[in-house]
Amino acid sequence: MTSTLKGITLKGSAELVAEFFSFGINSILYQRGIYPPETFTRVTQYNMSLQLTTDAKLKTYLTSVVSQLKEWLFDCTVQKLVLVITCLETNEVLERWQFDIECDKSAPDGRASREKSVKTIQDEIRSVIRQITATVTFLPLLETPCAFDLLVYTDKDLVVPEKWEESGPQIIDQSEEVRLRSFTTSIHKVNSMVAYKRTDSV
Amino acid sequence: MDLEDDTTVLTTLRSFNTFISRPDNPQRLSEPSTGSGALQSQYKRSIELLEAAEKVHSKSRYLQLDQEKKQMELSHKRARFELEKVASDSARDLEHEVDRNQGLLGIIKKLEEREMEANKNLSEQVEANRALRRNLEGMSKKLEERDTNLNTANQTISSLKDELRELNQKIQNQDSTISTQTLEKEELQEQLDLQRRKYQEVSQQCQTLQAAQSSCSEHIIKIKELERRLALQEQDMAIVKTVKSEVARVPDMEKELKHLRDENAFLRESRENCSLLKEEAEGLRKKLERMEKTKEDLVNMELEKERLAEKLHAWENLGQSTGLNIRKPEDLSREVIQIQQREIALKEQNYRLNSRVRTVERSLPELRAELHQQGCKTLEEQKRREAQDALVRRLQKRVLLLTKDEQRASTFDGHIFMFQERDGMRAILESYDSELASTEYSPQLSKRLREAEEVLQRTQNHNTEMEASIRAFTCSADQSTGGDWGAQNTTTDAAAGMVELELESLKKQQAATADGSSLATKEEMSILRQKIEDLETERQRLEEQKNTLEMRLERHNLKGGYDPTKTRVVHFKMNPTSVAKQQRQQEVEGLQEEVARLRELVRSLQDGGTGAHSHQDSSLYNPSLSLSLPPSKEVLDLRKQMECSELRNQRLKEVFQKKIQEFRTVCYVLTGYQIDITTENQYRLTSVYAEHMNDSLLFKKVPALLHFA
Repeated sequence: MTSTLKGITLKGSAELVAEFFSFGINSILYQRGIYPPETFTRVTQYNMSLQLTTDAKLKTYLTSVVSQLKEWLFDCTVQKLVLVITCLETNEVLERWQFDIECDKSAPDGRASREKSVKTIQDEIRSVIRQITATVTFLPLLETPCAFDLLVYTDKDLVVPEKWEESGPQIIDQSEEVRLRSFTTSIHKVNSMVAYKRTDSV
Repeated sequence: MDLEDDTTVLTTLRSFNTFISRPDNPQRLSEPSTGSGALQSQYKRSIELLEAAEKVHSKSRYLQLDQEKKQMELSHKRARFELEKVASDSARDLEHEVDRNQGLLGIIKKLEEREMEANKNLSEQVEANRALRRNLEGMSKKLEERDTNLNTANQTISSLKDELRELNQKIQNQDSTISTQTLEKEELQEQLDLQRRKYQEVSQQCQTLQAAQSSCSEHIIKIKELERRLALQEQDMAIVKTVKSEVARVPDMEKELKHLRDENAFLRESRENCSLLKEEAEGLRKKLERMEKTKEDLVNMELEKERLAEKLHAWENLGQSTGLNIRKPEDLSREVIQIQQREIALKEQNYRLNSRVRTVERSLPELRAELHQQGCKTLEEQKRREAQDALVRRLQKRVLLLTKDEQRASTFDGHIFMFQERDGMRAILESYDSELASTEYSPQLSKRLREAEEVLQRTQNHNTEMEASIRAFTCSADQSTGGDWGAQNTTTDAAAGMVELELESLKKQQAATADGSSLATKEEMSILRQKIEDLETERQRLEEQKNTLEMRLERHNLKGGYDPTKTRVVHFKMNPTSVAKQQRQQEVEGLQEEVARLRELVRSLQDGGTGAHSHQDSSLYNPSLSLSLPPSKEVLDLRKQMECSELRNQRLKEVFQKKIQEFRTVCYVLTGYQIDITTENQYRLTSVYAEHMNDSLLFKKVPALLHFA
């Protein structure tokens, strides 16, 4: 990590945010039961215990996505990261975890550091992940086998890299939205929210 | 008598042989006899026979005797041989005996020798015995001595024991003494402690004593000093005495001293006089020198005077030439004074001017405020004007032209500005009007805003210009303070005049505008106000609409919508969803295939019915079926159960077999009968004691009876 205790650089901010996404996605997958809980292992990060997958395929997928995301964060070309949970039986989108990213493009040189300590940022990230964990209480149960996908909203002029392709927004028909906490590294601001399919019983 | 037996056999054998060899003769004899008479012949033959018998008998007797003789000889020989044998044996024995005798003799000799030796030994032994006896005696003596020693030793031991006892007693005594001594020691220690305490006290006393001593010594020293002082005093006393004696001499001395002093004073005066005289002489000499110098100077001065006189002439000439009355230096000084006075007056003037400048500067902000007020007024006027103009425009376009002419004609900055303003406002109003007609709001609003901003910009520019001009005035005023007086005055005056002019013009303008539009403005203003209010309400409505639209946009955003012109959504090609979908697709395909196959199988089963056909089919399809259908859990469980029960059965069988075997053997042993089951309902009873294996009783079981088969 390039950022020191004094402040944070663009590079450090991108790394912090990417790290948050890695842990956040893992937490969601664990909490929502997309992958069986025995394929997760417990680690300590942000001063709290989190679940990390041990599934080799999933790991490689996540690392490739997150590393690409880190580049985009560094270029400030990414607008949103969306985790879409799809029902495999009906191909219906059941949940969308959306992370809006606001980049402060005034700090593009990557050297000038902002006055915000890594610790406070990590505290904010921790509260976000806590909230993600807490959302299980009100989100509807996923009864059918589901799979997930990661969508990245980027600037239009961005060149789509190899292994990536354009996709639809995967919007949920008749959804309920819940805003979650946000955190900022003073360079990147991440607003998180979850949208889920409205069930008829409610 | 084996030999004899043999001989008999031999004899018989010989006799038999002889007998066999004989018969030819009698036969030959008998045959001729047969021819002559039978009785004779018979007699003859019997005699012959008798003779033959006698012969044989004798012969056998001979043979017997011969045999006896031979036997005798043989026995004789044997006897002789035995005798010889015995003789040789005895001879041998004799030799043996002789040898033994000799050996014995040797032994005897040896024994004798031994005896001799033994005797010798004996004597030696006797001697040794004697010696030993002697030794023994010595030893006994020694023993006795030792005994005596021992006794003495015992005695000494007893004595020592006594001593020991005594010593013990002594020790005890000593112990007691020691205890007493320890007691004493303790006492002594106590005493010692006491002594120590005393010692401490003593030491303390000692210290006090030392202190006292030291004080004593100090005292002594003091005493000594005092003594010394006393001595000194005594000495002094002595001195005093001497001094007193001398003092007695003092009046004389004083007189003498006075005398001497007088003398001294006289001498001093004389000396002073001398020095004064000397100084006077010196001063005179110096005066002389100075006089000489002054003389020289005088010459020089005269020379200079001449020169100056020439100069004075020149001066006088100058005075004449200049016209001023400068004949004398007084005139000059008067002139100078006059100049100075003039300078002072000028300075005063300067100060006054400065103060005026300052007052002007002070009045400047006021003027500015006034200007601002005027500007506001003008703005108001402008507004009125605009309203008026709008009205005028709407009513008559000719007036517009006229105003434009006016605008062209007017040269004053303020006027131009005013008209520009008016144009801007007009444009705004036009935009308002056009807005009212159309339905598109936001661009027009923005346009309107822009225009308003432009107007503001223009007013600001005007303000800045005004400020700049004011600044220029102040600058010029400042400059004028330090510069030439006349010019300064003129510039300040000019500036002030300009400002005043401007103000006046502004006022005039205001008055003109007020006069020109005072009537129409009020109506227009009311209309315009209404319009503005309408626009305001519309603006609010639009704002609300905008807010709602923004909210909708936000919601859309939340749901994941995006602007496709700005944003692009990308995802990883090999994402888990697509992978899972592919897998699912494959799975579904596989299942479908399997279902089709199974359907076919079912159909074939239904079609084929029973028999070999179905058997074939099943044999055809079974492997695939078993491959495709893994055994369900239930089946597995059942299989396991079955295995369990089989195992149990097996064990039971084994146990039963063992037990029944045991029972049968026991029955067989105890009763002696063995029962076997040959076939169904048929039993065979076999006894242990049966003579043959096949001897058995067969029973057959007919319901309720046991038949003997």
